[in-house]
Parts: sequence; structure tokens; C-alpha cells
Amino acid sequence: MSDGTRHDELEASVAAWVLGALEPAEAQTIAAHAEGCATCREVAVRLRRVVGALPVAVDEVTPPARLRGRLLAAAAASRGRTERPIAMRRPPRPVPVPRSTAQRMPLYAMAAVAVVALLIGVLVGQIAAQRSQGTAQEQVARFTLTGHEDMAGAKATVVDLKADGVALLDFRGLPPPGANRVYEVWLVPAQGSPVPAAVFVPDAGGGKVVLVNRALAGYAVMAVTNEPAPDGSPQPSQQPRLYGNVA
Amino acid sequence: MAGNQDALAELYDRYAGLAYGVAMRVLGDPGRAEDAVQEAFMNVWKQASSFDGERGSLRAWLLASVRNRSIDYLRGRGAHERREEELQPEVAYGEGPPDPWREVALSLERAAVRDAMASLPAEQRQAIELAYFGGYTHSEISDMTRVSLGTVKGRMRLGLEKLSSYLRGRGLVDV
Repeated sequence: MSDGTRHDELEASVAAWVLGALEPAEAQTIAAHAEGCATCREVAVRLRRVVGALPVAVDEVTPPARLRGRLLAAAAASRGRTERPIAMRRPPRPVPVPRSTAQRMPLYAMAAVAVVALLIGVLVGQIAAQRSQGTAQEQVARFTLTGHEDMAGAKATVVDLKADGVALLDFRGLPPPGANRVYEVWLVPAQGSPVPAAVFVPDAGGGKVVLVNRALAGYAVMAVTNEPAPDGSPQPSQQPRLYGNVA
Repeated sequence: MAGNQDALAELYDRYAGLAYGVAMRVLGDPGRAEDAVQEAFMNVWKQASSFDGERGSLRAWLLASVRNRSIDYLRGRGAHERREEELQPEVAYGEGPPDPWREVALSLERAAVRDAMASLPAEQRQAIELAYFGGYTHSEISDMTRVSLGTVKGRMRLGLEKLSSYLRGRGLVDV
């Protein structure tokens, strides 16, 4: 058998290998081959990343309360038998992004922002209408934020005006945030900390158009939390119940 | 040492629901699922000093360990039969934003992975699920589904490649 044929045979088994579906002897053969074969190693790395995502599809199940105690007791009992020093190492956290002027905007200016946002929206709409359909699709993207739990009736349409580097958020059905409270908009990168994007108070009907003076490129999720007035919080203080993908 | 106990408790509080969910999906037996989860947390905790955060996510490592422990129970294997170094692959699967965003990020990730799985042809999805969650070897899957070994391998490869493309497009796995 030629080396090429042998390689093709082994490469065909890489997916089964990373899924743990090979017999031990076969797995050892592939592992040994991959150590010296850049092609198979690259395929294995790429497919392992996918296999690493598979368990996320499973629903979380709350374990019995006794399991936590059992685990910590077993860990305590293992002290002294552990040869290696134990230290949890966290991935580095990204440096927090400073809040923009818009994010620190006091409440009295919020109405003006909404008016400006609406005007921009109208203007962009007129410009977009003048562009070809294909160009408009490239310049403008729309996303939806969906409410959950006590905000199940709320939603928002996000219009990402890519060419302008801003986004318009059209909120509907928001409950009043409460006395001395505001809603805060967050942009969440695929990896890293949420970045504050805007604070606002909805009108009496639960609606509001908000301008986010920031490009959405590079962010995966937009979410909204209820935070202290007037400037919100530097980091979210609660689980968001209104959120959606923006990528 | 006390700090290390705290680290384990923090790790457990963060991922116990996910870990137990994976064990229950594989085993369907609360008792054995508890054992598998405990062993996986202990394994990760003991080897934490060798964990390289630059190479991948602690969550991916932990969940792979839970899955493998669960498959060991399912197939009546001893953990010593498994090469533990395989449990820390080059998984560049994201850790996700920190609390309190874990729930949001996780629900979006879960939806994306489920969508990706649902987008696969049934036979590719079946081959991947039988291997990963059922612990079956490609030979066993070949017998069960009455197709050749080469076809099973091909379905696994095509299915994983499609998932890779789908998830990469959503920014959920690094290139």
C-alpha cells in the first residue's frame, strides 16, 4: 500500500476519531499518524472544535443538591494525594471599553436623541430607497430582540446602518423601568465582556427609538437590562430578558 | 488550598446544570449521571494546572470529560482505559461572556447548535449523535444502520464539516 493510499484511508477516519467512534487500536493508529501529518492534524483540530460545541445543544438539568457536597467532600479527601499544584487559570478578560458620550447622556437629552434618531431613520430610509436593492441590503441589516419572562411582551427591531456606523433600535411593549431606573443597551462580542451602548426610558406606551452611536460589526448579541438612573451601570447587574443576535 | 476549593465550587456552580444535562442525555440514569459528573469535575480540577486557556475553553474540556465519563459508564469501561490527554483537545470553542450573560449567550449558542444539527441530512445527524451521545463505534453504527463502514465515516465527516461551516458562520467556533 502506498503512503498516499494509507494517508487517504486514515484521513477518512479522522471524523470518527474526534467523535470517539474508533476502537482503541484504531484511535492509536490515527493519533500516531496525525502527529506526523499536518493535513490530518489540521482536519482533526477543525472538527474537534465542532465536537466541542455538541454538548451545548443539550438542555441543562439541575443536579440533586447533594452532588455539590459530595464533590467538595471528595476534593477535600483528595488533598495530599494530589501531586500537581492546583490552580484554576482563567482566560484573560478583555480590557473594558470606555463609555461613549452617548452612553453617559443625561435623561433630559434622551428625547432629543430620539428625535435625531427618527430624523436619521427617515433620511436613511430616503437614501436607501434611492439605492439599488442589492446595495441597500449590503448597507442595512435588520435584527430582532425578543423579550422573555416578565418582558415577554417586549421586542425591538434593530436597524444596523452599516455605512453610517450607527444603529437604530425601535422598542415596543416595554414595561416602565421603575422609579430611578433606566433601560441599558449592551453589545456583547462573541468572546468578551458586554459593552454599554445606550441608556433610555421608554414613553408611556412602552415604545422608544434609540440611537446607538456605534457600529455593530464585531458584536454577536445585543441585550437590554434594567439599571439605576441616570447613567446605568458600567457592567450589567442582572440577567437580560430582552436580547437577540446582531450578527 | 481553601482558594482551590472555592475555585472548584465556582466551577461547579457555573457548569453543574450543563454537565448533569450531558450526563443524563447519555446515561438517562440519575445515579450514574451523578457519578460521571463528579468524576469529570474531579478530573478537571486535578488537572487544572495543566489547562491552557489560550488553547481552548474550560467548559469544552469539562463537558468533553463528562461525556467521556458517561460513555465509559454506558459501556462498562473503566476510566483507566481512556487516554485523558484526548480530553483536552484544541477546542477553540468560546467560553462566552461572563455572568450574568451566561444564560443569554448559552441560549443563543444552544439554538445555533440545534439549528446546525437540524440542518444536516438525517443520516449524517444520526451518525454523529449515535457516536457522540450514544457512544457507539463506527463499526457498530455500520451494523445498526446497515451501511458500509466507509459510508458511516463519510457521513460523520460530511456532517462535522457542515456543522463547522454553519457554526463558523455564526462566529461560534474559531477558524
